[in-house]
Amino acid sequence: MSMTKKALTATAALLAASSAFANQWDDTLEQMQSQYIVPKYESFSSSANALADATATLCAAPNSANLATAKQAFNDNLAHWQQVQWLNFGPVTYFMRYYAYEYWPDKKGVTQRQLRTLSMDPSTMTTPKFWTSASIAVRGMTAIESLLYHGDFNVIRKPSDCEVLEAISRHHAQTTHDVLTQWQQSKATDWIFPEEGSTESAEHLVVELLVQQWLEHMSVVKDAKLETPIGYKGQPNLKLAEFYRSEQSLPAIETNLKAYRTLYHLGQPSLFDTAMAEQPELAQALEAALADNVKLALQLPKDYFTGQYTQAERVEMAKPLVQSISNSQTQLTNLVTSMGFQIGFNSRDGD
Amino acid sequence: MQLSRRAFLASSLAALSIPTWASSMPIEAQGELFFSAFSKSKTEHFIGAFGSHGKLLWSMPLPDRAHAPVVHPTHSVVGAVARRPGFYMDFFNPFTGQAIQRIEPLAEHHFYGHAVFSQDGTRLITQENHFPTGAGKVVVRAWPEGQVLNEYSSGGIGPHESVLLTPDTLVIANGGLRTHPDNDREIMNLDSMSPNVTFLSLSDGSVINQAQHEPSLHQLSIRHLDVNAQGVVALGFQYQGELWDKVPLVALASVDSDALEYLDMPEHVRARFKQYCGSVCFDKSGKTLAISTPRGGFVAYWDVPTRAFLGVDNCRDVCGLVATNKKDQFVLTSGTGKQLISTPRTQNISQLNQLADIHWDNHLRRIDINI
Repeated sequence: MSMTKKALTATAALLAASSAFANQWDDTLEQMQSQYIVPKYESFSSSANALADATATLCAAPNSANLATAKQAFNDNLAHWQQVQWLNFGPVTYFMRYYAYEYWPDKKGVTQRQLRTLSMDPSTMTTPKFWTSASIAVRGMTAIESLLYHGDFNVIRKPSDCEVLEAISRHHAQTTHDVLTQWQQSKATDWIFPEEGSTESAEHLVVELLVQQWLEHMSVVKDAKLETPIGYKGQPNLKLAEFYRSEQSLPAIETNLKAYRTLYHLGQPSLFDTAMAEQPELAQALEAALADNVKLALQLPKDYFTGQYTQAERVEMAKPLVQSISNSQTQLTNLVTSMGFQIGFNSRDGD
Repeated sequence: MQLSRRAFLASSLAALSIPTWASSMPIEAQGELFFSAFSKSKTEHFIGAFGSHGKLLWSMPLPDRAHAPVVHPTHSVVGAVARRPGFYMDFFNPFTGQAIQRIEPLAEHHFYGHAVFSQDGTRLITQENHFPTGAGKVVVRAWPEGQVLNEYSSGGIGPHESVLLTPDTLVIANGGLRTHPDNDREIMNLDSMSPNVTFLSLSDGSVINQAQHEPSLHQLSIRHLDVNAQGVVALGFQYQGELWDKVPLVALASVDSDALEYLDMPEHVRARFKQYCGSVCFDKSGKTLAISTPRGGFVAYWDVPTRAFLGVDNCRDVCGLVATNKKDQFVLTSGTGKQLISTPRTQNISQLNQLADIHWDNHLRRIDINI
């Protein structure tokens, strides 16, 4: 074979490889959307509707049994939220929906204060454009949890409290339905901002953004959900734990960590499959780290956030999980950067 | 031409008014040069220069990650200021490759990543943190000797970037954040921080004027700034509060201001900033203002005379921003290695180059060689 033919063959092989590579991300992303994002939002939307229905039933017939049903509906809805919480991308980024879903940590008790005001005259919530200008503190699950679990509110004995609960739950269900519909009617690549001279495919850029979201969420789980409330590096304040009133702080972490493993193996080829083909050692290292996360979270006692433990005891119990999540952040970073993804240089600088 | 350090210093001292930038210029770099720090990995850090076509013309390794370059106004001297908490400032002649000088902060101080030369190039002005007390300092040193001439209070805590308003007036962005190098990303005064912009006399260190936010916005750190020929100071903020808080992110001020004038932008654009402004830059005319946000992945533009929002250029991880010698034109650099040239009023943007495996760091400077 002449050098020219060799060169042509090599070029053709390279083009075929890069084309296959591009198609690989196309498939992976399409399946991330069709097999994870949309179905998980379907579940989230469905349980948000169930929650809205349960609160309507409760307000029509306020009693302990209906309150228990509403609380269970809330917990179910929360579990579905925890599966998509890592994804602050696409439809949820509009109209402050992401932050309205969960106003946390609410260090100044803004939610309770605003709920008390609304309960004084719930009719304001039926005025036109109320929800377009309403504070994010009273638009989602943090507010719903307060009304169901906080001692300042009594949705059985005080009709106005229940009226506020019902209105927020219905709004929350509508928001979730809207996000779901937008995911169903669009492609993930519709939600990025194209830039001049980009040599990467739109699919590559979206996968890159999703990986960035995943990395950021790992920090949220480690720092905000675990370390901060238990006082891993400072003073403990268990009231800063996520959804602590409904005692869902630990289940939320478990669901998040399980979701990471699902994400890694999603589709054919999955991110794991592609990683195994390109960087088998790094792929396996991340696989092991993600598995460790779940195992260690499940080893924490069920009353980890609510039991009578000292700060030192909680910190000691958390150490293996904190170190494991930290390790999985490192492994994910190493893997995706070796695969050509940019995880941010200036954007992660903070100066 | 290779000058010895002694010879260079001698020539600098003897002929400060001669623009050695022009006489030292290689043919391929005639016109303009752009300087920025960059990294190739977590452990490989450099300062470098590229020409108007984006080709890397010069680079020198650095001991640690830098933040912003500082360019001498007349002599072929460029410095790299270490990223906060910075403990070095390395100066080079990019045409001889010679390391000229290393300046270190005062004892128990660190740099903030920015510095500026006086207009005549005889003094080097740095912002420093006296970390045992958190006092913000402006330190004036003789150039090139490096001896400290003056040590002034910056008028606040966390003086990050400063620019010259006049030869005698320095404008300082006091970010308000108290930090300590032992744990440099921990903010020690989140509840009490009080950022301001300070206009400081370089003659005696007196405060000519200060402007700040109302108390409810005390976590809105004033971090970067630029000044145009009309004396308008543009300010870019980094909010330390919650991501969901609706706070202003860009403002204008002047030496007479008793309050900051916040610039409007569409809410969906403001939200995309993720509470974080990177570089602040006027164009040559001073009528177009550009603000980069690496977290948002874009540069936003305003018409200064009307305060009207003009639009954005999308670019992942963009931060470096500098005006060219044409009005309404900027060069942008990103952490993905891109160099772009944009004319926002005509919505023209094109890529000059993208250098593989290079992450351009936060700030970009330019010199015009046709002096």
